[in-house]
Amino acid sequence: MASLRTTSRLFAASRPMFRPAFARTYATVEPTPTEQPKMKTFKVYRWNPDQPSEKPQMQSYDLDLNKTGPMMLDALIRIKNELDPTLTFRRSCREGICGSCAMNIDGVNTLACLCRIPTDTKSESRIYPLPHTYVVKDLVPDLTHFYKQYKSIKPYLQRDTPTEDGLEFRQSPEDRKKLDGLYECILCACCSTSCPSYWWNSEEYLGPAILLQSFRWLADSRDEKTAERKAALDNSMSVYRCHTILNCTRTCPKGLNPGRAIAEVKKMLAV
Amino acid sequence: MASFARSSLLRQTLAPRPFLQKNVGVSQVVAFHASAKKQILPPLPQSVEGTPKPPASIHSLQSAERAAFGECFGSNCDAAIPYVLDINNATVNDPAPIPETHPSEGSYHWTFERAVCVGLVPLTIAPFAAGSLHPVMDAILCSLIVAHSHIGFQAAIVDYFPPKRVPKFRSLCNWLLRAFTLTTAVGLYEFETNDVGVTEALRRIWTA
Repeated sequence: MASLRTTSRLFAASRPMFRPAFARTYATVEPTPTEQPKMKTFKVYRWNPDQPSEKPQMQSYDLDLNKTGPMMLDALIRIKNELDPTLTFRRSCREGICGSCAMNIDGVNTLACLCRIPTDTKSESRIYPLPHTYVVKDLVPDLTHFYKQYKSIKPYLQRDTPTEDGLEFRQSPEDRKKLDGLYECILCACCSTSCPSYWWNSEEYLGPAILLQSFRWLADSRDEKTAERKAALDNSMSVYRCHTILNCTRTCPKGLNPGRAIAEVKKMLAV
Repeated sequence: MASFARSSLLRQTLAPRPFLQKNVGVSQVVAFHASAKKQILPPLPQSVEGTPKPPASIHSLQSAERAAFGECFGSNCDAAIPYVLDINNATVNDPAPIPETHPSEGSYHWTFERAVCVGLVPLTIAPFAAGSLHPVMDAILCSLIVAHSHIGFQAAIVDYFPPKRVPKFRSLCNWLLRAFTLTTAVGLYEFETNDVGVTEALRRIWTA
C-alpha cells in the first residue's frame, strides 16, 4: 500500500508534464481570463429588529453572475457567504419542495430556489419579503397567523366508520384523481400574500392557500366530516372575501390553481 | 408591511425642505412606528388571534403576560415586540377562530348575488330585443339593479372597513348605503309610475 501511494505521488508530481490540455481530473470552475465579469446588482430589503427605530432600507449587493449559480437562492446564499453574513432569509431544500424561501422577487411572489436570475445585467433585481406580512428580520416574514388559519380548517382525515376489512381507507382511482392539483401545495404562502383581499382582511379571510387545502379535504372521498367543514366556511369572511382577482393562480410557484379550488368551494357551498 | 413604501414617501415629502429634516428626531421616528393612535399609515401592532383587543402598550399588561414577552423591556422596545399574546392563554399553536355566521351571510347571500347577476343579463336585453315594453318587466329590472348595486357596495364596505378597526365608520357607511338604496328605490318607483320608465327613457336617449 505504501509503495502504491509513493508511486501515485510521483505520478501526481509529474502530471503537468504529459497531461492533455482537455482532460480535467476534478470538477472545478476555472474562470477563464477572456470572460468578462457579468456584474449584476441585487437590492435586498433589510430590517433589523435589534434597531427598531431604524426604518427598513434597501441594500445593494453586486455579484458576478459567472461565479454565481443560476437561481436567486444561489445569489442570496453567495451574498450571505461572501458579502454580508448578517443577511437573513429562510431556505432549506433548494428544489421547491419545502416552501421556505418564498419571497417577493422583482415584484412577483415566488420561491427563490425556483426563480432564475434574469441575465440582463443592466437592470437590478429587487428582493423583498412576502408583501403585507409582519417582518421578523430582513426577508423572514412572520407566518404565525397563516399556520393558525391552516390549523383552523382541520387539515387531516376525519372519519368515524372503520373499513370492512379493518385495513386502510381505500379510494378509487377516480376519487384519487380529484386530489391532483391540490395535494402538491407546499404552503409557501406566495398566493395568500399576493391576494389583495388577504392583505386587507387576513384576520378572518382564509386566503387562497388555506382555501385550496380546505377544498383538498372537502374533495377527499374518505373524509366524513364534509358537512362540518362546509358549515365552518359558511360565513361572510372565510371564503366570500375572494373576489376572483386570481393573483393566487398567477403567482403560484408550483403551477397550481388556487382560484379554481376556491370556485369549487363556492360551488359546493352554494344552495 | 408596506413600511418600505412609507420610508420613501417620507423622504419624498421631506426632500425639498431640508430644514424640516432636523425636526424629525429619534423619538418621533419611534413614535411613528409604535403609536397605535395613528391608524392609517403604520400597521397596527401584530396581535395573535383570540385576543379581544391588543393592549395599548406592554406596560399595561400583568406581570405574568409580561414574562411571556421575553427579555426586551428597554425604553424603545415597544416596536420590537413581535406580537401581543392573548390574555386568555391563547398560544401561537391554537387555531385561528372561525368567524361568526349569520343566516343572511355566506352561501345564501352568495347564491342570491349570483342569481341577481345572472338574471340581469336577459332582463337588460329582453325589452330591446322583443321591442315591446311591459311595466312588470321594467319593475323587475329596476329592483334587480337596486339589489345588485346594494350588494356590490356592501361588499366594498365589508372589504375595506373591518369592524375590529373602524366599527363606527363601518356602521355609518352601512346606514348611508341603506339610505341611498332606499332613495334610489323610491326614485325609480316614482320614475316608473309617474314618468316613462327606465327602458323607455334609455330608448329615447339612444334614438335622440
